[in-house]
Amino acid sequence: MIAPSVILSRVKALPTLSGAALRLSELARDQRSSAADFERVIRPDPALTANLLRVANSAYFGLRNRVESVKQAVTVLGLTRVSEVAAAAAFAPVIPARLPGYDIEASAFWLHSVAVAVLSERLAVELKMPRPDLTFTAGLLHDIGKLAIGTFVSQESVEILGRVRGGLAFASAEREVLGVDHAEVGALVADAWRLPTAMGAVARWHHAPDDVPEGVDRPLVDLVHAADGLAHALGLGADVGELARQIAPGTEARLGIRARRLERVAGASLDAIREMAGLFAPRGDSR
Amino acid sequence: MSTLTVDISDFKVSAKADDLIVTYALGSCIAVIVHDPVRVVGGMIHYMLPLSETSPEKAKIRPAMFADTGIPLLFQTMYQLGCQKKDLIVKVAGGGALYDDKGLFSIGKRNYTVLRKMFWKSNVLIRAEDVGGAKSRTTRLQVGSGLCTVTSQGEETEL
Repeated sequence: MIAPSVILSRVKALPTLSGAALRLSELARDQRSSAADFERVIRPDPALTANLLRVANSAYFGLRNRVESVKQAVTVLGLTRVSEVAAAAAFAPVIPARLPGYDIEASAFWLHSVAVAVLSERLAVELKMPRPDLTFTAGLLHDIGKLAIGTFVSQESVEILGRVRGGLAFASAEREVLGVDHAEVGALVADAWRLPTAMGAVARWHHAPDDVPEGVDRPLVDLVHAADGLAHALGLGADVGELARQIAPGTEARLGIRARRLERVAGASLDAIREMAGLFAPRGDSR
Repeated sequence: MSTLTVDISDFKVSAKADDLIVTYALGSCIAVIVHDPVRVVGGMIHYMLPLSETSPEKAKIRPAMFADTGIPLLFQTMYQLGCQKKDLIVKVAGGGALYDDKGLFSIGKRNYTVLRKMFWKSNVLIRAEDVGGAKSRTTRLQVGSGLCTVTSQGEETEL
């Protein structure tokens, strides 16, 4: 068991996301926001400006005309998209070269994060759900807890893996051995990073969507839970937990998923995932 | 020696004896590994989904994404290099599953069922296989010797 104060100190020691990205995600949720508000946040940040233009002109969006200004990018991509790109640009550099405990390289962790982001969004479209706000970004950041508790997982890996080999889901094994799992820690990281509440809730409940308390955006948690399962099934960013993940029966019922639809989403998303993942290099990656 | 990496929804064939063909992180995806000891040719596909009918457009661009379009392509490519069906040694790995009581996410099981049907119809025997379970697998094939290994849960075993 790890003392909560020890976990908190780890969480506080993490590098934080860029302020501009966070400000944009707040603006994206505020219906009174205008393109001009976005531009005011982006323009003073040269790295974000460069990233935004590069991404806007990438094959991922496949735009016909070249985007040459922040204003144009905001107009063409829309406020939500711009905030997602900013989140991706801000998240990639905080990923360490290798996540201790999870036995995964930065590039694979990044691929998994992007895969869950893209699959969550595409699943929402396939299931004709009204697209909950921040689907992409909530998917992207669902595993942030792993950044903070990796060293503890590493210290107890024999115990944890023993339970996983015995048939327990990885997050449950973490909880049994450490007294906490990466999802709970994810909520602490979300708080420390001042992420919107909905994103913190996704990080917190993405392994237990049947248990979400009232007031939490459950459809969003369900989407990310399903997308996370699908990404792991497809081998997009496999870590030490391999396929030891529980799919919540409630999620399947609430989303009304059919096997064929999942397969269609998987088939349609692979190229987009690779394209988006290739746009940003996580810190530990040598690309 | 070169190492040929087979990405998800891709296949590779080599007739160079010192080549190594490898594919990583097979979850529910399946690798079919084919070796011809007579012509010394090796091939591997890493397909993701059972049937191309779910995304016919995708199948045109990426036939190796699906069992029904990808596996025939792998065999045909080997035949073009002079391989004969009777000489081919076929092995299968992957098809893992999450803990999913309702089975909606059982893409691995469906991937395997379609493969078995195809092989049964075309009289292809599977020499060895390592499928199912909550496992992720990495497979390697040495083209020269035909040595095929599966690495999973930190252990490498010969298939």
